[in-house]
Amino acid sequence: MIAVADILTLSHVQKAFGSKQVLKDVDFSIPQGSIFGFVGENGAGKTTTMKLILGLEKADAGIITVGGQTVHFGATKTNRITGYLPDVPAFYGYMTPVEYLDLCARITGISGRQHRIAEMLDLVQLKADKHRIRGFSRGMKQRLGIAQALLNRPQLLICDEPTSALDPAGRNEFLELLASLRGQTTVLFSTHILSDVERISDRVGILHDGHLQACDTLANLHQQFGRPQIKLTLSDTQTAQRCGQVLRPLPVQVQANQVTIPYQDAYETTAQQVLRALVTADITPIALQRQSATLEQIFLEVIGNGHTINHA
Amino acid sequence: MATLSTMLKKELLETWRTYRFLILAVVVLIFALMSPLIAKLTPDIMKMSFGKTLQLAIPKPTSIDSWTQFYKNMTQMGIFVVAILFGGTMSQELSRGTLVNLVTKGLPRWVVAVSKYISLVVQWSVALTASFLVTWGYTAYYFPDAKTPHIWQGFVPLLLFGLFFLAVILFGSTLASNSYGGLLFTILVVGALYLVNLFKAAQNYNPISLIGNNMALVQGSKTLGELGPGIAIAIGAGLVLLAGTVILLNRKKL
Repeated sequence: MIAVADILTLSHVQKAFGSKQVLKDVDFSIPQGSIFGFVGENGAGKTTTMKLILGLEKADAGIITVGGQTVHFGATKTNRITGYLPDVPAFYGYMTPVEYLDLCARITGISGRQHRIAEMLDLVQLKADKHRIRGFSRGMKQRLGIAQALLNRPQLLICDEPTSALDPAGRNEFLELLASLRGQTTVLFSTHILSDVERISDRVGILHDGHLQACDTLANLHQQFGRPQIKLTLSDTQTAQRCGQVLRPLPVQVQANQVTIPYQDAYETTAQQVLRALVTADITPIALQRQSATLEQIFLEVIGNGHTINHA
Repeated sequence: MATLSTMLKKELLETWRTYRFLILAVVVLIFALMSPLIAKLTPDIMKMSFGKTLQLAIPKPTSIDSWTQFYKNMTQMGIFVVAILFGGTMSQELSRGTLVNLVTKGLPRWVVAVSKYISLVVQWSVALTASFLVTWGYTAYYFPDAKTPHIWQGFVPLLLFGLFFLAVILFGSTLASNSYGGLLFTILVVGALYLVNLFKAAQNYNPISLIGNNMALVQGSKTLGELGPGIAIAIGAGLVLLAGTVILLNRKKL
């Protein structure tokens, strides 16, 4: 197997704002060409980490490298190979999208500007007309943001909560776009929508309490933290409540007409135990499903435990 | 240098499309048209206002009255219009986050500061020169006398004061988090310079001297050489402020 070089590495990065230590010791790397989902609670430090990578914030300690070059605060050369889509991209409202992309292209110094701009506008489905950006909806601005971020064919694309402003169709298109970059461009994206991370990420980093509590492939995270579960659907809420009482002392969770039973032993053992208890109590479920843990459950498990686990 | 040219074009496009230059041009051209006209009409206005109750003989207006009116308008109202129009030139970029996309594409921050300064200087120079030429034309038409022989000598210090003043505005706008903060900084600096001007020994070195002696220069009772120290300090301080703007911007979080 050929070893893939890491495009981005963070070594013992620390950052405090006043007395608040946002990043205590962040340490991870991202292999070239992968899609890295970056999750954490509000205020966990995801945006700060991204700004440190872009040289927009100064780290108190630690080293960040992009493409083998160290990132410096203020004017870092590594930005030449990086694309950035902020959570709320800000543009010059008096410009047209073509004028704005032309400005970005001139700054980046890319060749074949006009062709590349047309290509990008086509990709994000914006028209190359005289409409000024000030009249754009938030979704259109987000799409223009994507176009400017990808304009210079970046080796590393950093997206800060890119799908938060998009409608379901736009979100779907954007995720497909990110997924299509796999292998060519390394993508680091933060989000609160964990299903988005599950859908396209190769690797996931969970930031909590100033540390990257978990950083691994989705499969390994499932293996490490994911507790499989049996989900029963009952006819009504009352039956579900009765079912929950019958199944105790198993660690059941009752929500509306559904009962969830996480398990650690073999599926068959737990399933038999559940079914026997239901038959005895004369309860008939409408459906029984075997489920693996969702990323949301893994996330809660990781931030609840607070152990630092890194399989990078 | 290519990025400087790109950003300068962006700045000029911005000032054009946001009507800032248009507003500046209209204001200074109104001053240009009004100055000779007010000088011409002042005796009539006074006669109409006071009628026969006015015992004094009103002297016939001359080109001196026209240029006095022009420099009074430009140095009192003109520069504050400039401060209000351009007070947010950097603070707006910083507060709106519009520089983030460009800086993360490799745009050096000094280019932002220098391009903004050049753009401000271009706008000031064009607007002021146009206003001056219009005033000159109208003054020559209304008052064909020889009482103001050195009109260019009055114009040059005002132009140079503008370069200093724009550096103050840009520095204040980078220092503050909003347009009002930048404006307040500019007002404080100008206020401080007027205070310094109370000391006679400092007057010759004060950049404010560049907007206080224009009529003496126009009439020939003073020469540009006498304002040399003030001019040198205004240019030097302008450059220091521009360098300070770059340093401030380099330290700013975007």
